[in-house]
Amino acid sequence: MKALLGYQTELLTRSQRWLSPLVLYAAFLAVGVQWGEPLLDGLGYTSAALLPVTAWLVRICVNGEPDAARQCSAAAAGPGRVHLASLLTAFLGACLLGAAGTAFAVAASEPYSSEGHVAVPLWPAAGAGLLADLACALLGTAVGALCNRPVMRSAGWAVPSGMLAVLLALVAAGSPANAAVSGLVTGSHSGTVTVPYIPAALSAGAALLAVAFACRQAGRRV
Amino acid sequence: MLRGVDLTLQEKSLVRVEGANGSGKSTLLRLIAGIDVPSAGRITGRPRCAYVPERFPAAMPMTVLDYLVRMGRIHGLGRSTARERAREWLERFGADAYARTPLSELSKGSSQKVVVSQALMVGAELLVLDEAWTGLEPAARTMLDRAVAALVTDGSTVVFVDHDPGRLAGAADATYRVEDGGVRDVTGQEPQRRGAPASGPRVRVEAEAPPGVVLPEGLPGSPQVRHTGEDTTVLTVPVAYSDALLRGLLAGYWHIRSVVREEQPR
Repeated sequence: MKALLGYQTELLTRSQRWLSPLVLYAAFLAVGVQWGEPLLDGLGYTSAALLPVTAWLVRICVNGEPDAARQCSAAAAGPGRVHLASLLTAFLGACLLGAAGTAFAVAASEPYSSEGHVAVPLWPAAGAGLLADLACALLGTAVGALCNRPVMRSAGWAVPSGMLAVLLALVAAGSPANAAVSGLVTGSHSGTVTVPYIPAALSAGAALLAVAFACRQAGRRV
Repeated sequence: MLRGVDLTLQEKSLVRVEGANGSGKSTLLRLIAGIDVPSAGRITGRPRCAYVPERFPAAMPMTVLDYLVRMGRIHGLGRSTARERAREWLERFGADAYARTPLSELSKGSSQKVVVSQALMVGAELLVLDEAWTGLEPAARTMLDRAVAALVTDGSTVVFVDHDPGRLAGAADATYRVEDGGVRDVTGQEPQRRGAPASGPRVRVEAEAPPGVVLPEGLPGSPQVRHTGEDTTVLTVPVAYSDALLRGLLAGYWHIRSVVREEQPR
């Protein structure tokens, strides 16, 4: 798996395709995280922005290897493992982006609540932000795994359904990503840090199921 | 679409798969290689597999050597071994000048050499070749023939499809025909009717045994053996196996008297 991850990472980093989601994420942060604004708002915004970016990264990674090359690597390692490696590469890349985004939000924002100027503990807030990032990256990976090949093979279905799923994951009431983000933003009013343990665990479960399903589908022809 | 396929591949064998265009040869090969999963039934006991597709238009953002080393690592080789073997095989195919060339800049023939090297450098126990010879120049084709013979000699199973009925003629240990959505064992059946030559070109090796030594079992290419004198033996094998046979004999301290390429039998 280490060799497959190295191969997929090289495919991602040496292509210029990672640039677009990076620019999108940077644009989200530039618009949403303002200098001197309340910390928890910035962290919540950063995490929310990570979800569509992760789904996009997944799309890039699972389509990054040309068919003929994928046949060779699938023969060597099995189609499921090859697919798992591409999903993991996207997820790890998203985690890296999330960490950078959180560091930026911590540096740019002021550790105070949005109402009444209550001090917010910096490190617990940053930790909660990272965990919310994780929840969003996991859910973005789940969306990407389900809304791309091998589950959805045609771009005509994959792209719109992926966008819709990202939107739902962000705004739907039961979504763990929504819970993690709104936990941070709501806490920002009073200056209380809500660590999103349960949303992160739920996202992990969803990602596990989605990734397992997608990897099982790899190698099956419809 | 294939149905009701029941196939057992032996170790140390060369297997030819034939059939009309669109009959499902490539599907069968991808199933054997484990690239595709059958919708019903299962495939068991598959060893580590290397695969060569017919075309390798891999517009990937890495150099030839980087790609080969990565693939070698995926097959479980160490980094330095992978690099060494990649260089060796590129050299054998006369493509070592391309080691630092990005894959996207290669010609069709050169990319085929890369993907063939990818498969041969790992010494896989199962090698699946889907028209791998297509796009290679004659010298590279012969090299691939010999490499296949050497792999089989070392105990691997090689499964191949090629549009040329004379490819490795007379060397295959089993032949399967894909037609009407099924697979039929046609090993040893009237090759001429399938458009293949009776046996293909062969090489005759006259060798002298060391005193008191008998001919070893299981020589490469299952040679036809004729004892011509007290110590001298004449062995005949398909051309692709001639080097492997000589290696086998020399390793047993046999003395080689002559090597002659036989005229194609009619």
